[in-house]
Amino acid sequence: MPPVIRIENLHHTYQRESGAVQALRGIDLSIEPGEYVVLVGHNGSGKSTLAKHLNALLLPTQGEVWVKGWNTRERAHLREIRSTVGMVFQQPDNQIVATIVEEDVAFGPENLGLPRAEIRRRVDWSLEQVAMQPFRHRAPHLLSGGQKQRICIAGVLAMQPEVLVLDEATAMLDPQGRKEALDIAWRLNKEQGVTIVAATHFMREAIHADRLIILDEGRIALQGPPRELFQQIDRLRALHLDAPHVSELAQALHRRFPAFPANLLTPQEIADAVIGCCERREEERERQGWGEARRGGNEEEKETPISNLQSSISSSPSLPLSPLLSLHHVAHYYMRGTPLQVKALEDITIEVFPGEIVGLIGHTGSGKSTAIQHFNGLLRAHEGKVTVLGQDLNDPAVDLRTVRRTVGLIFQMPEAQLFEQYVGDDIAYGPRKQGLSREEVRARVQRAMEAVGLPFAEFKDRITFGLSGGQMRRVAIAGVLALEPQVLVLDEPSAGLDPQARRQLMRHILDLRSRGVTLVIISHNMEELAEICDRLYVIADGRTVMAGTPAAIFGAADDLRAIGLDTPDMTQVAEALKAQNLLPADVVVYTLQQAEEAIAALLAQRAAFAASNDAGSDRS
Amino acid sequence: MSEFEYLRNVTVGQYIPTNSLVHRLDPRTKLLAALFFVLAVTTTRSVLATLVVIGLLMAVTKLARIEVRYVLRGLLPALPFIVALMLMQLLFQGRYSTCAVVLFEWWFVRITPCLVELVILGALRLVAFLFLVSLLTLTTTASHIMHGIESLLAPLQRSGLPVHEFALANIIALRFIPTIAEEMERIAKAQASRGGDFGGEKWYRPDRIARSRLPLLVPLFVNTLRRAEELVTAMEARGYWGRKGRSKFVELRMQQIDWLALLACLALWLLIWRLPWPGLYNFN
Repeated sequence: MPPVIRIENLHHTYQRESGAVQALRGIDLSIEPGEYVVLVGHNGSGKSTLAKHLNALLLPTQGEVWVKGWNTRERAHLREIRSTVGMVFQQPDNQIVATIVEEDVAFGPENLGLPRAEIRRRVDWSLEQVAMQPFRHRAPHLLSGGQKQRICIAGVLAMQPEVLVLDEATAMLDPQGRKEALDIAWRLNKEQGVTIVAATHFMREAIHADRLIILDEGRIALQGPPRELFQQIDRLRALHLDAPHVSELAQALHRRFPAFPANLLTPQEIADAVIGCCERREEERERQGWGEARRGGNEEEKETPISNLQSSISSSPSLPLSPLLSLHHVAHYYMRGTPLQVKALEDITIEVFPGEIVGLIGHTGSGKSTAIQHFNGLLRAHEGKVTVLGQDLNDPAVDLRTVRRTVGLIFQMPEAQLFEQYVGDDIAYGPRKQGLSREEVRARVQRAMEAVGLPFAEFKDRITFGLSGGQMRRVAIAGVLALEPQVLVLDEPSAGLDPQARRQLMRHILDLRSRGVTLVIISHNMEELAEICDRLYVIADGRTVMAGTPAAIFGAADDLRAIGLDTPDMTQVAEALKAQNLLPADVVVYTLQQAEEAIAALLAQRAAFAASNDAGSDRS
Repeated sequence: MSEFEYLRNVTVGQYIPTNSLVHRLDPRTKLLAALFFVLAVTTTRSVLATLVVIGLLMAVTKLARIEVRYVLRGLLPALPFIVALMLMQLLFQGRYSTCAVVLFEWWFVRITPCLVELVILGALRLVAFLFLVSLLTLTTTASHIMHGIESLLAPLQRSGLPVHEFALANIIALRFIPTIAEEMERIAKAQASRGGDFGGEKWYRPDRIARSRLPLLVPLFVNTLRRAEELVTAMEARGYWGRKGRSKFVELRMQQIDWLALLACLALWLLIWRLPWPGLYNFN
C-alpha cells in the first residue's frame, strides 16, 4: 500500500519579529496506513510544527508534503486533506466550538456538508467510540479535562479521518485523562485501522507505538521501534530525554544479570521475565501465603499501610512541633445558595509541619486545588477549622494579607498570571504592594530570581512574554517567592513542561527547602512525589482518605487503585511480582533503586543459573 | 461569601435544566414571545400594566420550575445602574415635564408627580427587560437561542447579511463565557496570593480602580487572544471554511403548543397596548 503521508525534505521557517526561526530543517518521512507513530522531542524540537504540516495547517517553506497523493500546497484538495487527517490539540478548552457536546461533535460533519441523518449517525458513532454518549446533551465546560479531550477526539472522528494526529493532546490531562485518551487512540488504531501520529513529551506514551521518532532541532534524530530506541539511553540523554523507568530498570538488571532481557517495556513484562527466570525453582512456592499473613498483622510498624483509612487521618508525624498550617474537617461548597450548589470539599484534614515537604495526591476534581485555597484564605471553610501559624482564619480579625505573605500559593500554569512587560517589575508586584522600600524590593526580587535560577542581571529587564514556557513559569514562582513566604504551596508545578524544564524546575523547588521554606506540592506525577515528599495525603471526593509517608501510601497500592489513582511504575512492577508471591507483600517499592535492589536480590540467588543460561537467552 | 466566585451571581447566560414546558418550547417561539413582551412593556405608559407584565413573567418563571428569588438575585448587579438612571431622570428630566403640579423646585431640578411616575415606569421597564433576558437564558440553552436567531433571520442572509457568521460568533462567545470567567477567577486568586488586592479602592477614584485591575486584565487579554488563535486553528483543522457548503445538524420544529404560546403572547401585547390602563397622571 502506498504511504498515507509522505514528506520530502520538509523545511519550515517562522518569520518572527526577532528574525527567522527555523523550526524544521529537512524532514523525510513516510507514514504507512495503520501505523502508530509517536513523535517525541523537547520544546522547540519542531514536533508540533511537523504535526501541523500533516493536514495543511502549515505549508512547507521548502520541500513537499503529500497526503494520499494530494500535495498540501494545492488548495483545491484542502477539504479532502483535512477530512483525511484529523487533528486534536493540546488544550481541549480551545477546540470546542459549541455549547452542547453533540453539537460540537457535529461541527466537522456540518462543515463537510453531510445530510442531517448522516451527521446524526456519525455523532452517535464517534461519541460511542470515546464512551461519552451519556454526556451528549451536557455543556462542555462542566466536563473534566479528560472528558473534554475525548469530546475533541470524537469531533475529529466524526469526520471519519484515516489519520488521527494528536498534537500534545495529553499534555494538559491528568493521568486518568491521559490514559483514557491513549486507550482510545490505541483502540482506534487496532480496531478501526486508524493511523495514529502522536506528538508528546512523555516517552511512556511511546510504549505501544509501532515507531518512535525523536526530533531534535527540527531534524529526525532517531527513529525505530520503541523497544530498540529505549535501549540507547546514552543517545537519549544526549537529546535531554529519558527512557521510561521500566525500561531503565530492565537495563539496570540486564547489566547485573546478562540473562535478564534489557528490552522490556511494561511492569508486566518485567514480572514475566523475573518469573521466567525463577519459575524452575520449586522452593519459591514455599513463599506462598506471605500476602495473607501480612494483611492481618500490619500494625507493628511505624509506617503503617493504611487499609481502612478514616481512622488514620489524625495521625501526625513524630515531629515535636505544632503544625504551621492545618485544615481540620473542612467542608466547602461552590455556588452556595444557588440551584447549582456543589459540594467541593466534604471532610479535609491536612497538617503541615515546619520544614516538611508534603505532597497531595488525588484526581482532578477530587478537591485538592480547592483545599489548598483555604491555606491562605482565598476560600473560607464553610465547616471545620483552618489554622495558619496558630491563627484561626475564620476569625474576621485576622489580616488575610499577612496570611497570604506567610503562605505563598502558586496555581497551575502560573505563567498565566504574568502581566508586567519586564520580568523584574512583575516579580516586584507583591513586594511593592507590601509597601517595602525600593532597596528592599530590589533585594527581594534578586533573591527570588536567583532561587529559581534566573540570574538577576541577565533577566530582570527581559520582556516577560518573550520568555520560554519554563522560564515564564519560574518568573511566576519568583513573584510569589519575593513575598518571602514561610510555606510555599504549589499546584502542579511541573504540568505541561517538557522533561528537561521539569527536572530543572523541580531542582529549584527542592533547593527552597534548604532556604528554610516548607513545601506543599500537588502533583499527578507519582514518581516525582515518591522521591521528594516526607509525607503524602490522598484526597478523593472531597475527603482526606489516606495520610502517611510515601512508603506507607505506596505500600497500600490496592487502596490507591481502589480510588482509581495511578501508582508509580516501580510499585506496579513490585505488585506484579507480589501477585506471583515472588516478593513478600511487606516490601514497599516506589523508586527505581528500590525496585532494582529488590529484584536484584531475587535474581542474585539465581546468578549462577542465569549465567549458565546466558548464551541462550541474551536476545537483546 | 466568597470574594472570588464571579460566576455565581451571573444569572444571565446560565441555563437551568428543569425540563419544564417552557424549556421544551421551540427557541423561535421563545424569542418571538420575548419580542411581544418587549413590545408590551414599551408600548404602555401605565405603571400598573408594566407591573402586570412583570407579574406574568414571574408566573412563567414558576411554570418553568425556577425560583423567582433566584432570578431576582441575578438582577442585583444591575441595581446600581437602575438607581443611577433613576437619579439622572429625577434630576434632569423635570424641566421637560408638562405637569402643572410641582412638588419641589430648586435651581435646575424640578420634581413633579408625572416625573415620579415616569421614573418609576422607567425603572420597572428595565427590571422587566432584565427579567425577560434572564428567563430566556435560564430556560433556553445558548445554542438553541442562536439557532433560533439564525433561523428567524435566515431570510436576511440572501440580502448579504452575515447571519450565519453572526450566530456562530455568538455561540462561540457564549461558549467561552464560563471558561473566561473561570480564568478570571484564577488570575484574581493568583494575584491576591502574591499580595495584590482588589476592591480596596474608593469608588470615587476610578483611575485607581482601573490601575489596580491591570494585573487582572492584562493576563486575561493575553490568554484570551491565545485561546482565540488556537480556536481558529482547531476550527480550520475541522474543515471550517465559512457558510458555503455547510449543512446543519440541529433541527428546529414548531409544535402546536408553540403556536398557542405565540398567540397568547400576541394577545397579551395587544391587551397591554390597547386597553385603557389607569395611570395616575398623564404625562407627555
